[in-house]
Amino acid sequence: MHAFILIAALLCATTWTAAAANETLKIGVIGPMSGPAAQWGVEIARGAEMKAEEINAAGGLKIGNATYDIRTIPYDHKANAAEATTVANRLVFQDKVSYIVGNSIGATTTAAQTITEPNKVLFLFVSWGKQSLGPQYPYSFRETFSDVEVVEPFYRWLKEQKKINTVALLDVNDQSGKTTGASMVEAAKALELKILADEYFDRALTDFYPLFNRILAMKPDYVDLGSVPPGTAGLLLKQLHEMGYAGTKGWVSGAILEGAIKIAGPEAADGLLAPWSANLEGANTPPAVKEIVAKYQKKYGEPAGNYVVDNYVALDIVTQAMKAAGTTDTEKVVGHLAGKKFDSAWGPVVVGGKGTYGVDHQFLRPITITQYQNGKMVDVGSAMPRDLMAK
Amino acid sequence: MFEATLAFQALINGASVALVYILVALGLTLIFSIMGIINFAHGEFYMLGGFAAYYLAQVAGMNYIAMLAVTFLAVCAFGFCLERLLFEPLRAQPLSGFIASLGLLLVLQAGVSILFGVTDKRVDSPFPGILHGYGLVISRERLFVMMASAVLIALLYCFLRWSKQGLALRAAAQEWEAAAVLGINVNRISGLAFGMGCALAAAAGALLAPVFYVTPTMGAQPLVKAFIIVIIGGMGSLPGAVAGGAFLGLLESIGPMFFSPATVDLLGFGAIVVLLLVRPTGLVKS
Repeated sequence: MHAFILIAALLCATTWTAAAANETLKIGVIGPMSGPAAQWGVEIARGAEMKAEEINAAGGLKIGNATYDIRTIPYDHKANAAEATTVANRLVFQDKVSYIVGNSIGATTTAAQTITEPNKVLFLFVSWGKQSLGPQYPYSFRETFSDVEVVEPFYRWLKEQKKINTVALLDVNDQSGKTTGASMVEAAKALELKILADEYFDRALTDFYPLFNRILAMKPDYVDLGSVPPGTAGLLLKQLHEMGYAGTKGWVSGAILEGAIKIAGPEAADGLLAPWSANLEGANTPPAVKEIVAKYQKKYGEPAGNYVVDNYVALDIVTQAMKAAGTTDTEKVVGHLAGKKFDSAWGPVVVGGKGTYGVDHQFLRPITITQYQNGKMVDVGSAMPRDLMAK
Repeated sequence: MFEATLAFQALINGASVALVYILVALGLTLIFSIMGIINFAHGEFYMLGGFAAYYLAQVAGMNYIAMLAVTFLAVCAFGFCLERLLFEPLRAQPLSGFIASLGLLLVLQAGVSILFGVTDKRVDSPFPGILHGYGLVISRERLFVMMASAVLIALLYCFLRWSKQGLALRAAAQEWEAAAVLGINVNRISGLAFGMGCALAAAAGALLAPVFYVTPTMGAQPLVKAFIIVIIGGMGSLPGAVAGGAFLGLLESIGPMFFSPATVDLLGFGAIVVLLLVRPTGLVKS
């Protein structure tokens, strides 16, 4: 009799526990988590992980009658397009995810879209390139600025404030680099800046002395590091400094200035400009962003870069859209993302971009231009993406 | 005058890179000449050298020169043990040795990623500052790298030329069985060759750590360069590795004066194809 009561009690407890337990919502994260661009992928994965942990600690994500615990599944594609297809396949068909929040490097985004789009997987990424968004990609969204949003306003500011007339443009020899390079060339031509060099090199290159030997002889007013990853940007700055360059230098994709400054050293990085709101601890930085940065430093023992905040915010905004839609069905969630305005750690974020891409799938917010001066990041200017002004 | 300055600067740049390429390639070709295997994990020993510099000099604060010596000896001992434990049992099966080296590559890279993480690490320069003169520039750290590489190459030459162990190494490289018959302990020599080859790559990695940065995948590019050099110079030929390294270093420094970096890479590989067609044994026959 006692045994019967015990078993009945255990069964009741098990049933109650099962009813109380949250369901699991799997969120895929892909990115380069090894190799020269590893810092991007690592920051993207950790940003999503932090937001997921925060949601879970608060009791889970309540959507309609269900409550979900979020589990992020990060995969490394090594900045390789073929690997990106493999990991996207694994996420969609093996792990059965309906959301991939986070990726960088344009070629890998294009590769992953061949899997995400036909399978209606909502895909958010930080990678650049106009070609990644459009009516042909109804499930794709860019969660941060790209070359289209930042280059032209940044160059206009440079011309007005720094009085530059000649430029040398550098970038990596792949889809990301070529796309960014095209935007830099287009903006420079539109502003009548003379392009002295427009050079592309292998992502693995570390010795730029030979390249600078030729370029610096042309005495450019401004050198742009394009969309190179942080480690490479650090080497470029270090070697520019060693070869005596004292002109203006910028990094249009400089989302993680700390990574480059760490490699270059403060002296070589001094004066670096980036149009990326990269100053995460400045006077104009929203308190919520400062809080994320502090939590990141405490949790991982490293300084946070923009992609941490961008992907944290991306998961936040996607989950807000799920709540608004009352479902995790991506087809319906898309309708609650596109064209909408969200409150986030960055402040208000508008999902717009129709004027440029034909769809409102681009996260938009004002741009702050940051400069590294005497060991500190300082906000030196601001600009507004064209599509945000239109909104 | 302007063009002459550019050309001299290119030569200085070329020399600084070529000497390090030569170190890595000498290690690779030394291993091939004795063991007859292509060590695909060779770039990972370069990476181990970089991380040794990071951990010993940057984190633990060891003197940079002492770190170089410790790294060289430690990696040499590690390589010796690896040869005895991993490659010696596979000596009769070259294909298995090749697969083992690929496995070693993955294990070393993954191990370092787990231990140190995947983000780039900086190693402070032991010789900061830049030297200027006659319109030319060179950083003190690059000058040190050039000098240290030249010293290591000279020491290797002296060791192989005049020491008893060096003589045994050369004998084993020329005729393995005859060397064994003459009483040379070829197993020990094989371990020594592998250890020294790995240590040369590690020394190059430790030397370049402050010049560039340290990351678990940093071994891939030097490995490719070392292969190009060894093929150009002649497989298993030590003088060939020196000639090949000088050729590639100069090509990469002078080429960008006229062509884009992508074109220069293409020229490097094109040179291999042409050379293999014209002179299949490389510049210097082993």
